[in-house]
Amino acid sequence: MTPIQPDAAIPDRDLVWRMAAGEERALGALYDRHARTVYALAQAVVGERADAEEVVADAFGQAWRSAAEYDPLRGSVGGWLTTIARARALDLVRRRGRRGRAYQRAAQAADGGLAAPVAMPEPPDRGVERAEAGALVRRALAALPDAQRRVIELAYFGGLSQSEIAAELAEPLGTVKTRMRAALEKLRAVLRPLAGEGA
Amino acid sequence: MNEHAWLESAAAYALGALDEGERAPFEAHLADCPRCRAEVTTLRDTLGLLAQAAPGMEPAPGLRDRVLAEARRVRPLGRRPARGPWLLAAASLALAAALGAGFARQRAAARGVAATLAEARRLLAARDSTLAALLSPDVHVVSLAATGRPPTVRVFWNQDRSLFVVMAFDLPAAPAGRTYQLWALAKDAAPVSMGVFNSGSDGRATLLIPVAGGVLGLGLVEACALTEEPVGGSPGPTETPRLVGTWRHTAS
Repeated sequence: MTPIQPDAAIPDRDLVWRMAAGEERALGALYDRHARTVYALAQAVVGERADAEEVVADAFGQAWRSAAEYDPLRGSVGGWLTTIARARALDLVRRRGRRGRAYQRAAQAADGGLAAPVAMPEPPDRGVERAEAGALVRRALAALPDAQRRVIELAYFGGLSQSEIAAELAEPLGTVKTRMRAALEKLRAVLRPLAGEGA
Repeated sequence: MNEHAWLESAAAYALGALDEGERAPFEAHLADCPRCRAEVTTLRDTLGLLAQAAPGMEPAPGLRDRVLAEARRVRPLGRRPARGPWLLAAASLALAAALGAGFARQRAAARGVAATLAEARRLLAARDSTLAALLSPDVHVVSLAATGRPPTVRVFWNQDRSLFVVMAFDLPAAPAGRTYQLWALAKDAAPVSMGVFNSGSDGRATLLIPVAGGVLGLGLVEACALTEEPVGGSPGPTETPRLVGTWRHTAS
């Protein structure tokens, strides 16, 4: 029997529903689409390669077990996966009782943070589309004023709360709140063309 | 708190950066405020993209195998020591399957989110009987899968209500004049027909089949097989089974 449609034609959310029905092949397809992004995120948060791989395995394991809970009205599959992976990565960093890599980098004013490697070459086998998306996201981050970008990086990659960020940067809490919202709104406006893809 | 301040909280909430004391009040507000809910949803999608800013690196080649091996070990649906959790899993499966079929249809129509939701609800209501059959206490399940090939058929056996619930994915519709037939297999006995069905043009099928007396006469049914037969079904399989699976008797 031949498959009705190749895996590439199956929307992300259908893959998740198939996972909920216990279809391992759907998990494999989802991994093929998102593992690099999830891995890059894990690596940015935890730093160590082995730790990042543990996070990726944990994240896809949790996605597999909780596939039936995925709600498309609450966001894209990519967003769901990265939310899971980020929580796992931050858990691991806290469990080890150390600061994440992004946290350390973002806290150093001299460092350009994650937006720094704008011109970094992508591995040749990486999908062109994904490379373009990655470049667009890095450009969007790089275009933020330094103060705003560091607030976002400390929160997103470092897992710090607003008052922790205020303490870290020695800034008033109100300033951190204002910067956080301003930065997110800019990112949303710039990245709108990418949002909702693969939902 | 004015509206502007709530939206500021929405940004921090989406980032998971809202301080402990502010989270509960904001969540209470969120329950009543569609605007803030929409704000959180779109900001979360934006944040999901931030992961791509991290320098791309290839995960180790063995990681995919590790993920899949772990998935085989911990199935979303499978042997569980207690009855309760398994039944929850069965319910989720039914919901997932129902929603999946609904949205597949929706895509073609390309309607809005509200229509999609209404369609999903309608579909769920229509499948209440399927769900009810899965939610009864004494349900057994079998998965039929060809190694490394796409079609999957899942059969639930609700012993209380004497029903089979059949769900098929990626099963191309049998050609004109042909049908699929399910067989119950037991040791030292000829295969007994469980029923016939066909999948839709989307390769899916969800149906209820009453358990026939012949199946019950087999005693312990060990496996289940799928063949393609002439319309109306055959008294015995006329071809090598396309799919075979052994029952997981989970409710013990």
